[in-house]
Amino acid sequence: MSTPKLELVSLHKEFADGSVAAVDGIDLTVAAGETVALLGSSGCGKSTTLNMIVGLEEPTSGDIRIDGRSVIGVPPGRRNVGLVFQDYAVFTSMSVRQNLAFGLAVRGIGRGEITRAVGEVAELLGMSDRLDARAKDLGGSELQRVAIGRTLVTKPDILLLDEPLSNLEAAARLAMRKELRRLQKEAGLTIIYVTHDQVEALSLADRIAVMSAGKIRQVERASAICEWPGHIFVASFMGSPPMNLVRGALRHDGTGLRFVSDGFSLALPEHAAIGANDAAGPVILGIRPEAIRLAPASATTLAARVRLVEPRGPDAVVTLDCARQPLKAVVPAHGRPEEGAEVNIAVDPMTLVLFSGRTDLRLPLRGKEAA
Amino acid sequence: MLVRKLTWPLAFLMALALVFTLFPVFWIVMTAIKPPTDWNAAPAIWIPHEPTLVNFRTLFDPNAIREYGVGGVSQAATASVLGSIFASVTATFFSILIGLFAAIGLSRYATMSKATPLVILSGRMFPPAAIAVPFVIIFSATNVIDTYSGLIAIYVAVTLPFSTWMLKSFVDDLPREIEEAAMIDGRSRLMAHLTVTIPLIRGGLFATTMLIFILNWSEFMFALVLSYTNVTTIPVQLAKYVTATAGTLYGVQAALAVLAMLPLVIGGFMIQSHLARGMTFGAVKR
Amino acid sequence: MTSSADAALTRLSRDGQTETEDRMLGAHAPARPGAPMRGNLGLARFFAVPGQIVSVLVLVMPLLVALYMSFTDWTPTRGSLLDASFVGFENYSELLIYDSRFLEAVTRTVLISVVCLAFEFTLGLGLAVLFLREFRGKAILFSAFLTPMMILPVVVGYTFWMLFQSNGPINQVIALVAGEGAMPEWFRSAPLAIATVIVTEVWHWTPLFFLILLSGLNAVPENPVRAAVILGASPRQVFWRVVLPMLKPVIIVAFVIRGMEVIKLFDEVFMLTRGGPGTATETISLYIYKLAFNDFQLAYGAAAAFLVLIGTLVIINFMLLPVRDQLLEARR
Repeated sequence: MSTPKLELVSLHKEFADGSVAAVDGIDLTVAAGETVALLGSSGCGKSTTLNMIVGLEEPTSGDIRIDGRSVIGVPPGRRNVGLVFQDYAVFTSMSVRQNLAFGLAVRGIGRGEITRAVGEVAELLGMSDRLDARAKDLGGSELQRVAIGRTLVTKPDILLLDEPLSNLEAAARLAMRKELRRLQKEAGLTIIYVTHDQVEALSLADRIAVMSAGKIRQVERASAICEWPGHIFVASFMGSPPMNLVRGALRHDGTGLRFVSDGFSLALPEHAAIGANDAAGPVILGIRPEAIRLAPASATTLAARVRLVEPRGPDAVVTLDCARQPLKAVVPAHGRPEEGAEVNIAVDPMTLVLFSGRTDLRLPLRGKEAA
Repeated sequence: MLVRKLTWPLAFLMALALVFTLFPVFWIVMTAIKPPTDWNAAPAIWIPHEPTLVNFRTLFDPNAIREYGVGGVSQAATASVLGSIFASVTATFFSILIGLFAAIGLSRYATMSKATPLVILSGRMFPPAAIAVPFVIIFSATNVIDTYSGLIAIYVAVTLPFSTWMLKSFVDDLPREIEEAAMIDGRSRLMAHLTVTIPLIRGGLFATTMLIFILNWSEFMFALVLSYTNVTTIPVQLAKYVTATAGTLYGVQAALAVLAMLPLVIGGFMIQSHLARGMTFGAVKR
Repeated sequence: MTSSADAALTRLSRDGQTETEDRMLGAHAPARPGAPMRGNLGLARFFAVPGQIVSVLVLVMPLLVALYMSFTDWTPTRGSLLDASFVGFENYSELLIYDSRFLEAVTRTVLISVVCLAFEFTLGLGLAVLFLREFRGKAILFSAFLTPMMILPVVVGYTFWMLFQSNGPINQVIALVAGEGAMPEWFRSAPLAIATVIVTEVWHWTPLFFLILLSGLNAVPENPVRAAVILGASPRQVFWRVVLPMLKPVIIVAFVIRGMEVIKLFDEVFMLTRGGPGTATETISLYIYKLAFNDFQLAYGAAAAFLVLIGTLVIINFMLLPVRDQLLEARR
């Protein structure tokens, strides 16, 4: 296996007053050509992480390696890392051409090469006919293209994007998303971007790193992170609506393990095996809203009462009251129940997720994972 | 990362600039507290061995200096100090009063032409010597030459664009909804302005008042050409010193100069945060 | 949602977008553009009238009198202004064609102004850039550097008159460095007298440039600067290529404001040299003053004043040209 493009090794950042660690020990490895999203709400340390990778801020401790070499102490302009700001920060006093040429011009590159490189990038971004426009006359998505192009001209190893889509209107957002995916492929870029929007993260990234309170809670392939959240925070953050989380304990009955909580009870998958230590402590059960089905009453179903129905086009979010436990379920729009109705629900045991109440980490259900 | 520290060579440059900036102030203050024996010493004495306030006392009592065996201070500067205070304070009061009304009017009721700021600016470009010419003629004809009312009228007119424009910038900063809310409470428009608008801009009002006072207090040319015997201000008195007794009364002259700049330096620092706005007609905020 | 709250929200979002520009250009945009408070013309008049009366009585009327006068040959010895004979553009042509003292005063004033502004801008900008750095005692030093502009011009003139005396401290320092023989008589030689005027003026008003430029620098948005750094620009390149262009409107404002004042240069020169030796430091204002109040050539002086006004207006308009649109736009 080749050297990873970027490695963050137990990266720490404390600000001058020393009170709070903005970034509290991050480890992350990004392969060449990969796109990784740092996902988290504001203040979780994701922007600080970005600033440290690009060199605007130095970490308090830990290491940043690009192609296996530490870049600590290397000034921002020499790391070969590009950053596109959320507000684009395009040089408004210049033309598009001057903006694109800036990174090469300040390095004293020859005129001919600059023209060629600028032409190439303008072509790639579809801005060849806008080169002489003044930057202050540009619209939102054009500004972003210039901001990205300005960086691409310098052929960065890694491209960092700060909330790349959040300043765009809905239509431009879709177009830009497509554009970014194309760039990713055509330019073979390694991209790391920061966002608070999980849809944005899911649609662009190969892998997602979910952050909170200065820590990465889980790094996972975008396709898997919703299904198998590794940390209780990730479970409560991902998905719309996010996973139902119920506090309770585990009990053995005749056939296997059962989750019990104050009148609410659910059987775990047949081969589930939890370490005795974990099984004895408090646990949190995660039930995906998509995994709850309305079903005819049977031995395995639970009785529930429909509190609220929120239609959202093809499906509807149904808030249920199941043994005094509120649960959200996503059901097809055509089969949705009436508010106030008594229904029976079934949950596929194979989709259940269990977290330790002590560590907030997911407890592997060994039986299933072995299978 | 972006904010860098001041390196030693740069600190040295700054220290040099500081010396250049403060030396003249230091010199005038030192001269003001020199006893007469030090005034004309050659080489000049930088820091007096026996500092004294006699120069300041001499401003108000020409005989005070005699204790050093020096005569020849023909007149007191008392009249000029009182004249400066009276003219500046009165003119500032009227300039602010009228300017405040105009500012509220311009900010809340008028649709201003784009050119208004430029027109106001161009009023500042006219050489005061030229405005002084017709004033002298008109004032002579109407017998207000060499009176404080004449001088004050000019000061009010000349500073009015400043006070109006600066106060307007402060009124503009207030959302209209605040006054509209007061009117919903049943107050009339006028009352809304008097009881809501004006108290809310009192910080700006104070800053503008200081600025106008500084302008009036500093004014020299109008006072020079419109005053003969009845009217005098500190700048006029200082100018007289330079011609009449050049070189002989350094200490007393410096004392008057220090007295003249004291209120301005203090007032200026008080409104420091509004200074950029005031000096640029609101073109630079902060 | 009520309509007024709606309007407030619209305005808030608009203000948010243009905040940087607003701070830089100023532009106290009226709270709601183009929509004065409803109705009530009476109140509008009530607010405006006192200011208008004062302006008309004390500014417009004298100006009109002066304008009329500039087309006559009136002097105070000739009785009433109404009896003076109308001479058309004679005063103006005399000034522009034959009056070498006037033309010299104009050239001199413009040259002094250009040199002063160049120094004030360079020094002010240099100091402002130093103030972007981190150091202790910044607040106090900031105030200290502003001191000169708080002092009245007459006192500044008087102070420098003392400093430049032949036995003054400046000559003392020169003697110390270069020997007694090197001590110049500042006010006896034309170029040295002009130098004293320039030094005085630069000392007095560099702080204003410093103040305005520092305000502007502090309002420069951070991200373009960071972007330039990341793209590999050196601090110098960041400053010249990114920061300075963003500062342009503020720089022009500073030049216009100071340009308007320096062209009227009078108080300091009056105290320092009275225009001497000979007419070596005679500025336009000083010349007009002497014409009107020493020689009582009031009509002629008025004509000179109007020529200066027209000249100044033209120059300032050219200076404002590159930023006029921005200024007006922001104001709307």
